[in-house]
Amino acid sequence: MKCTNCGLREATTEVLVRRNDHVEKMFLCGECAKNFRPDMGLDSFDMLNKLINGSPMGLLNSFNNLFDTHTVRTLVCPDCKTTSEEFMKTGFVGCPKCYKVFEPLVVQTVKKLQQSDRHVGKTPHGIDTTTEAQLKAELQSAIDRGDYTEIFALSEKLKKLLNSKREGN
Amino acid sequence: MNPSETIIISTRLRLARNIAGMPFPHKLNEMSSRKIVDNVEQSLAPIDNFCRYDMKGISQLDGTILQEKHLISPDLLEDCPFGAVLISADENVSIMVNEEDHIREQVILPGLSLDQAYDRVNRIDDILGKNLEFAFDNRFGYLTSCATNLGTGMRASVMMFLPALTMQNMIDGCINDVGRLNMTVRGVYGEGSKAEGYLYQVSNQRSLGLREGDIIDSVKGAINHIVDAELRARELLKRDEPELKDKISRAWGIATNAYKLSTEEAMQYLALVRLGSHYRYIDISDVTEFQKLITDCQPASMQKNGGSNMNVRERDELRARHVAQTLTSLCKKII
Repeated sequence: MKCTNCGLREATTEVLVRRNDHVEKMFLCGECAKNFRPDMGLDSFDMLNKLINGSPMGLLNSFNNLFDTHTVRTLVCPDCKTTSEEFMKTGFVGCPKCYKVFEPLVVQTVKKLQQSDRHVGKTPHGIDTTTEAQLKAELQSAIDRGDYTEIFALSEKLKKLLNSKREGN
Repeated sequence: MNPSETIIISTRLRLARNIAGMPFPHKLNEMSSRKIVDNVEQSLAPIDNFCRYDMKGISQLDGTILQEKHLISPDLLEDCPFGAVLISADENVSIMVNEEDHIREQVILPGLSLDQAYDRVNRIDDILGKNLEFAFDNRFGYLTSCATNLGTGMRASVMMFLPALTMQNMIDGCINDVGRLNMTVRGVYGEGSKAEGYLYQVSNQRSLGLREGDIIDSVKGAINHIVDAELRARELLKRDEPELKDKISRAWGIATNAYKLSTEEAMQYLALVRLGSHYRYIDISDVTEFQKLITDCQPASMQKNGGSNMNVRERDELRARHVAQTLTSLCKKII
């Protein structure tokens, strides 16, 4: 199959792109896949996520198996050129930007490894950059999911933020 | 002596940090790596006099000594040619640069000192953070090259001496217990249940989704559990006290009279002497000096003390003399 983006080269990578209210499947060649941006389709790993189960190794194996069958898509960090394949094989990323590029993969991985995907500790210079609106949205989402650990952590964070605002006033 | 003092040796607390906008160390060239080392060194200047060692220029012997003192990791020495370490005058603080992450801030203190170690490393982190912009994300926290360190970037480790659990084959069960508390247990010298000198490192697995204080509390909880288990195991050992006294007395006899001692033998006999202090068969006047003796007995440290031309036999002879002299000045056999 030819690449659905350039139509020139053979497609090796499959990407799910969210367009408004529907999801569109794209088949990309290596070159176009390199230029693929995660904001084009943050749901691109949904299919893979369904395959993830068990331990972190299960997660890695799931991805490795898919790589073997050439059905998995490849993301490349534009800054350091690390690929999603490298990340899934080693657990290492190449630069801070990678965390944005591979965010869906990172979320799945850290949830398995760390039982959480949200930082609640110290921030640089003690400044918490999360806004009240962001926290409220995240809290609502945690309530919808019934994720009690997250609900507790976010409530505490929100309480702290509101207290510090009151003290500031 | 508090019973837990014969079980808990030291505390190590480290924070992993990276510079915003820079590739992580395994993707960095030499020039950028050097720049990071220079920037970290300059940023540390107001805190203390730090001694800098570049891995490119350090001798294998000096590097191994730093490793034996736990001031650097084996990876920094072996795999990070552009890496460096900055060490405080009291050797309680070491800042590894360009190891797995750009910066690994580490504080080591004797005994169970998690809160004190965090206070000190946190102060260093604040000062470094004023001069360097750390890579940080609202969701994932401090960004690290491996996802296992995301969030706080914190690893709190406690070195423990667990001879009774090991001798009675109860250590694996204990490791499983604390594994359920999201803790990792490793041999300090050697691996897993074959830890030399019965020394183990207990540390947190999770660094994301928990506050620094929560991590410290969870490590304390695990340590208390292990201390209780080791104390119970030591009571079990005492059920055959003549056998126990004989074992410790023989260890004392060899350690203070041998003509030559290998590293493994020294570790074994010193461990039994230390266990003897728990039962008050032997009195150790200075626990910190006793721990230093264990580091001094490691191959590179011994080689450095005796001269780099020594062969293995000469090193074993020097070790035996050093152990005998130190033990007789530091300890008193009571039984």
